[in-house]
Amino acid sequence: MKRAFVSFLGALLALSPAAPLRAADTTVTISQGVDADTLNPLATTITPTFNVVQHVYERLADFGNGPGNYEPRLAVSWKRINPTTEEYKLRRNVTFSNGDPFTSADVRYTVDWIKNPANASKQTPYVRDIDRVETPDPYTVRFVSKTPTAIPPGLQNPLFIVDAKYFQARGNAYAGEHPVGTGPYVLREWKRDDQTVFDANPKWWGGKPKIDHVVFKPIPEAGARVAALRTGATDLITNVPPQYQIQLVGGTNTKLESTRSLRQLFIAFNTLQPGPQQNKLVRQAINYAVDVPAIVKNVLGGRGYEITSPIPPNYFGYDAAVPGYKHDLAKAKALLAKAGYADGKGISLVLNAPIGRYNRDREIAEAIAGQLQAAGIQTTVRPQEWVSYSDQLNRRALTPMYELGWNQPSADADGVITALFTSSAPLSCYGNPEIDKLADQARGELDVAKRKALYKQIATILHDDAPWIVMFQYEDLYATSKRLRWHPRGDEWIRAYEMSVT
Amino acid sequence: MSAYLVRRALGALWALIGVAIVVFLILHMTGDPASVMMPPEATKAEIEAFRHEQGFDRPLIVQFASFAVAAAQGDLGLSLRHQEPAMALALQRLPATALLASSAFLIVVLVGVPAGILSALRPRTWVDYVARVIALIGQSAPTYWIGLMLILFFAVRLGWFPASGIGDWHNLILPAATLGFFSTAKIMRLTRAAMLEVLAADYLRTARAKGLTFPRVTLWHGLRNALLPIVTQLGVELGTLLSGAIITETVFAWPGVGRLAVQAVFERDFPVVEAVVLIAATTFVLLNLVVDLLYAVLDPRIRYA
Repeated sequence: MKRAFVSFLGALLALSPAAPLRAADTTVTISQGVDADTLNPLATTITPTFNVVQHVYERLADFGNGPGNYEPRLAVSWKRINPTTEEYKLRRNVTFSNGDPFTSADVRYTVDWIKNPANASKQTPYVRDIDRVETPDPYTVRFVSKTPTAIPPGLQNPLFIVDAKYFQARGNAYAGEHPVGTGPYVLREWKRDDQTVFDANPKWWGGKPKIDHVVFKPIPEAGARVAALRTGATDLITNVPPQYQIQLVGGTNTKLESTRSLRQLFIAFNTLQPGPQQNKLVRQAINYAVDVPAIVKNVLGGRGYEITSPIPPNYFGYDAAVPGYKHDLAKAKALLAKAGYADGKGISLVLNAPIGRYNRDREIAEAIAGQLQAAGIQTTVRPQEWVSYSDQLNRRALTPMYELGWNQPSADADGVITALFTSSAPLSCYGNPEIDKLADQARGELDVAKRKALYKQIATILHDDAPWIVMFQYEDLYATSKRLRWHPRGDEWIRAYEMSVT
Repeated sequence: MSAYLVRRALGALWALIGVAIVVFLILHMTGDPASVMMPPEATKAEIEAFRHEQGFDRPLIVQFASFAVAAAQGDLGLSLRHQEPAMALALQRLPATALLASSAFLIVVLVGVPAGILSALRPRTWVDYVARVIALIGQSAPTYWIGLMLILFFAVRLGWFPASGIGDWHNLILPAATLGFFSTAKIMRLTRAAMLEVLAADYLRTARAKGLTFPRVTLWHGLRNALLPIVTQLGVELGTLLSGAIITETVFAWPGVGRLAVQAVFERDFPVVEAVVLIAATTFVLLNLVVDLLYAVLDPRIRYA
């Protein structure tokens, strides 16, 4: 209680404005919808938080452009030394901002921290495949995985390396709130839900970043975010609603930036629960009944890309030869009749959709329901708030159809296929022993060409068996001030150390 | 008087205990937060491990017992989302909300009450009509919309005030006006109605007949007697402003308790929800006590023993 009261008094004082940043320095202000939930990079799983902490902490390598491309950060090179072991050579002469040298012990500590049940980290799924981390010398680490995995286990997930000594000395709570990393910036102040201010780290191994100060100023309401940009209070805003496009393009000081997202939106059939969706013919009929290009055009204002396979073109494993479903009402009706539901008699479906989780999620579900009605399939949309939705999702209780979005920053087919189609995956409502076998095989296949062929085989089976309505990838919309030079990334990560201003 | 205060304090304590129990039970009835907290690809075993570490796999009665023991010592546990003491998190936000709410309250008192009096003194004139139309808008337009309109006009178009965030007094004007608008309208209507009733009373005619000045008649004899329902309502409004700034804080990116509460509810951060609700309940209980004590000041017939 005493501590609480002290923090109350502290917050009272904190209401007074902070010391201003030097006017001659370049400052970039970034406004996402939410603030970081924590500054401990090992305790979170959400992208807006990673966007903040990545300015202080670094990974072994960053996701590059395109699947399988990595930009070396704390690791300078890596190679596989046997099917289950990958060796990383670490960058030398790197120090944490408190002066502690960065060594392999920090990498091992980071993985062990996440694995330690006492820390109740939400990132345990990220290190699931890693059996242990070996440190033959201070600048070499070996990730030993339980089974062979084609994707380097040290790189596939946000694994930010923390200072082992500092964490052990100060404890999780303190170290979490007072970040010390090896990255391009150091923390100046963090006022929850108000602002997080970073100063360039002059001792960064990569040289001094072009932007002297980076400020994260969360603004939850989209209209207010747009207003803040227009008044010059911020330089970059995320999740721009399409209806604001005209104002921002026409603005004297604002411009739009957009990119094809790695996130796809799909409708899954729950084939594990009884109902007409267990019939392959019905699933195929529904696939023919849905007109994805019309949804992209009318519901998203054209800000989306139709895809035909759950492995999209910007992912490893994509194969253009795998066919998709083209909108064909006659075919849909014929298949439906063949399945025993002529003219849609005896079939009535529920389409579950989250509210406000993905851009236009509910409207998209309503459009699909409308299209299915046109094919004679009685469809009701059941929109739900995300918390209860995700709860049902985890219990595989959303049936017979549900809408979901999926973003895999590694841009590898494995992140889609294993997580969403294998029978033991918590988010899969599909069970097919053949897919289970092929997915496992592809995951461990180290030969790139063979691995690609396996994913083609998987995508072909999935096309025929139709456990999803494959739909589209979003076009992510950002808006920035005209002075900012920056290009958005498909994985929704925002890196100020790649920005410059004019 | 002191016996009365002791009685009220005990009553307040029971009320707070009741609130804590009800909130605890309602929150736990909605399931546990493990599935929302863990990343989507987490397996059942990983979710189960997190649940176990947080103690959500224990029987509800055991969970409640350990919650009650800790809560009695002022410890509501760590926020599941922020990994920090929940009560400290909520108290850190309280000054920002208190600043916003008290500024809005000032607007309510300084605009709502005089406008109501004016409206009652000049019924069915243009003054009355203008005030009543504004009150109608304030009572019917959603706070969310008013906030965005104020931002568009005063921040984007005129550039007089910042569009969002906390800082100096410039940052305070728009959110305080937005938050206070609804209550101002309510108080204005209530003041008008109360004043009209009092102005028609016999003792006011007597006051006028014995030649008292107009201000003395309306303010000293009129307003003072009309004040009782207004003060009651003002107490309720201040409580509402303090605990109901959720929408305003979201629209204006104001780092207060309301925004913390919304996020906590959405993510089932139980300890933080408990902390926020307890703070709100304590505020209401205290304000009610202050209002009751004020009665005695305003109306000498009321005495507490």
